[in-house]
Amino acid sequence: MSWLRPLLLGRLVRLAWLLPLAAIGLFTLISLAPIDPVQAYVGDRTSLVGPEQREAIAAAWGLDRPATERFGHWLGDVLRGDLGRSLTYDMPVAEVIARRFPASLVLIAGAFAVSFVVGTTLGIAAAAARGGPADRIIRTLAVALSASPGFWIAILLIALFAVGLGWLPSCCAAPPGLTAGEAGWSDRARHLVLPVATLSVVGTAPLILHTRQRLVAFLDSPAALHLRAHGLSWQRIAFGAGLRHALGPALTLHLAGAGELFGGSVLAETVFAWPGLGQATVRAATGADAPLLMGIGLTTLLFVFCGNLLADIAARLADPRLRQGPA
Amino acid sequence: MSKLTPALLVAVALFAAPAGARPLVLAVGGEPESGFDPVTGWGSYGNPLFQSTLLRRDADLALEGDLATDWTLSEDGTLWTITLRDDARFSDGTPLTPEDVVFTYNTARDAGGLVDLTGFDAARVSGPHEVELKLAEPRISFTSRLATLGIVPADGYGPGYAREPIGSGPFRMVEWREGAQLVVEPNPYWHGGDVPFERVSFVFGSEQAGLSLARTGAADLVAVPASQADTPPDGMETLHVETVDNRGLMFPMVPDTGATTEGGAPIGNDVTADRAIRVAVNRALDREALVTLALNGHGRPATGPADGLPWDNPEGALPGNDPEAARETLDAAGWSDTNGDGTREKDGRDAAFAIVYPAGDGTRQALALGAAQQLREIGIAATPTGRSWDEIRAMMHSEVVVLGWGAHDPSEVYNIHHGDYAGIGYFNPGFYDNPTVNAHLEAAERAPDFEASLAEWQAAEWDGETGFGARGDAAWAWMVNLEHAYWVSECLDTGARQIHPHGHGFPITHDLPDWRWTCAE
Repeated sequence: MSWLRPLLLGRLVRLAWLLPLAAIGLFTLISLAPIDPVQAYVGDRTSLVGPEQREAIAAAWGLDRPATERFGHWLGDVLRGDLGRSLTYDMPVAEVIARRFPASLVLIAGAFAVSFVVGTTLGIAAAAARGGPADRIIRTLAVALSASPGFWIAILLIALFAVGLGWLPSCCAAPPGLTAGEAGWSDRARHLVLPVATLSVVGTAPLILHTRQRLVAFLDSPAALHLRAHGLSWQRIAFGAGLRHALGPALTLHLAGAGELFGGSVLAETVFAWPGLGQATVRAATGADAPLLMGIGLTTLLFVFCGNLLADIAARLADPRLRQGPA
Repeated sequence: MSKLTPALLVAVALFAAPAGARPLVLAVGGEPESGFDPVTGWGSYGNPLFQSTLLRRDADLALEGDLATDWTLSEDGTLWTITLRDDARFSDGTPLTPEDVVFTYNTARDAGGLVDLTGFDAARVSGPHEVELKLAEPRISFTSRLATLGIVPADGYGPGYAREPIGSGPFRMVEWREGAQLVVEPNPYWHGGDVPFERVSFVFGSEQAGLSLARTGAADLVAVPASQADTPPDGMETLHVETVDNRGLMFPMVPDTGATTEGGAPIGNDVTADRAIRVAVNRALDREALVTLALNGHGRPATGPADGLPWDNPEGALPGNDPEAARETLDAAGWSDTNGDGTREKDGRDAAFAIVYPAGDGTRQALALGAAQQLREIGIAATPTGRSWDEIRAMMHSEVVVLGWGAHDPSEVYNIHHGDYAGIGYFNPGFYDNPTVNAHLEAAERAPDFEASLAEWQAAEWDGETGFGARGDAAWAWMVNLEHAYWVSECLDTGARQIHPHGHGFPITHDLPDWRWTCAE
């Protein structure tokens, strides 16, 4: 594992300059956003909250000080391990993220697993039957999926499985009327199905096409032709030796796409009223909740960073040739 | 799923709610992201659930006692003496004392939240069941605070209160899964009687999620957009609620002298500064047609900022849908179409202005388009113009804007018409300033009691000679009051209702403890 240390070190150095750069960029964008956090907070009560009270709110949030000073203050707190306090939720940003991240992670992990299994299986099956009707159907499906907006798929799934057939719940993480303790595991599992299905669409289509392409190349190689000459069927070659050949790159691709899953979860959580970080992101953005947006932005950055790092490690584990090069 | 079926059965057997208790499931939004703390703003509309207030408004918006059994205002209008009932208890069983009331008001004053207690001085205990609330100056609209500020326990209040509220209201919290659901059960110590639901569940999340829940039969009352109002799912019917959630045309009232606000926004508009133009617009608008066009018929014409509320004065309105009268008004004021282009002129200036609306709001867009169409018939060229709120803030002192108000609080009438608030935020963007109207508004705030203030609020709209209403200065041309639609289970009786304020959803819960199931189980 001599290749691992330089890889990790290189990535840590990259993270060291990436984080402050991202923080400054995020803060600038939020400061420039045309949303007044006090007005967003006051909302419907515009007529009931007078100018003096607005000033009191702004002062309580420290918004009466210049932006650079606020950023410096925030940076100082972050270096001491304090991400600040969310304006929208009136609690520490770290706590908002800690409370909501698990729900998002369940969605993302579920979608990650489902799209990986479905995507690679269909990709291999298409390659094994290349040129045939099964290949055409799978490829058409992949192209159709990658062209379909996520919210449209979500509404389609709800209309079909929740409203039409009544098999699955249409929203939320648990049945209405029950507390977390009362909702059984089967209830929670049922509530996961449609959101996970919606979210997994994001990653499935590219995986199908990529795996198929990869495997077709393998099946055309002398090694595969040799096996074929010995009498193995294309299916056995594809799901046997081909599987190992395709799985590594597929995992790399999939891990590198973790950021897209994170983005997709914002949409899935909105449509299905899922109480995760995506929902909090939408509230924070519409409320111009700078501390929370910064916290979520940096968390996302770390998440995607880890995804990419894992992708690189997976690629090197799967393909020894990569371990030779510079990290 | 077959492996999960036994688990489901066990779950049902272990955790099923007690027999006969059908949980009431509502999807009406209104989740307070920062929690259920009245001191920082929870509970201005709808039922405060966990807390109770000193006073409350009944279905006619008249004031009645809740925690207070008697309330009097001193002659100079600055000292409220409030007698408290002696049987109120918090949901943990401890009695509610005058100290709790004093603590609540004094803490809210300093909290820097959404409770605006400007003009409130301090509260103090003045007897075993009595408190005194001192104001810095007479302000009758303070009664609205008495009716909305929930009382918190002085002992149990702290940083975690908002997420684990204790109060003397009809409910206590069972569980709040943030962003997902709030589950409450009746507070056994509540002084208001029995609540006929063993459990009430509020599902949060998107409007779309609420609609899906209703369609799958999982919710009993859901807030729905006007476009869905006419197609309730089986077992539900549509409830149309009258509101003062109004939309109107706000006119810049002063001529353009080149003046700007501190932020550089231009002030004044030479066309709308002419009263004849504003009166003509009020006379010409066919509000019924606007309701049909912009709201699919789900609304009612608006003629003032508070239609149907106790402080409204219908006398201040002018009959609309009368283009002939509008043309006469314009003719008499010297606006005539001399060059034959269909738009009237006066002193070389076209009777033309923009009608600005927030670009993301389809209702306001439809209203702007409809009004512009109607005004063309009387020779006024209005151009509907969509902008972002950010841009509107810079334009609203010099252009006509489609704005909306509608609070259960007459101080709104003060805020949007008093000259002192000219150019202050969204208050009075048109720089309207009429000394007589200002005097009526100030007299209303100085009234010896709320009932007595009503006549002055009404006089500000029209006192027989002047006022902010269309017959007077016509500071606005009000167009429509929205109707808020809900799908309600056919088995649920929601009783008498108030005229609802600005904001669709949670206000429906105002009388939640009085709701009843009507179907046999």
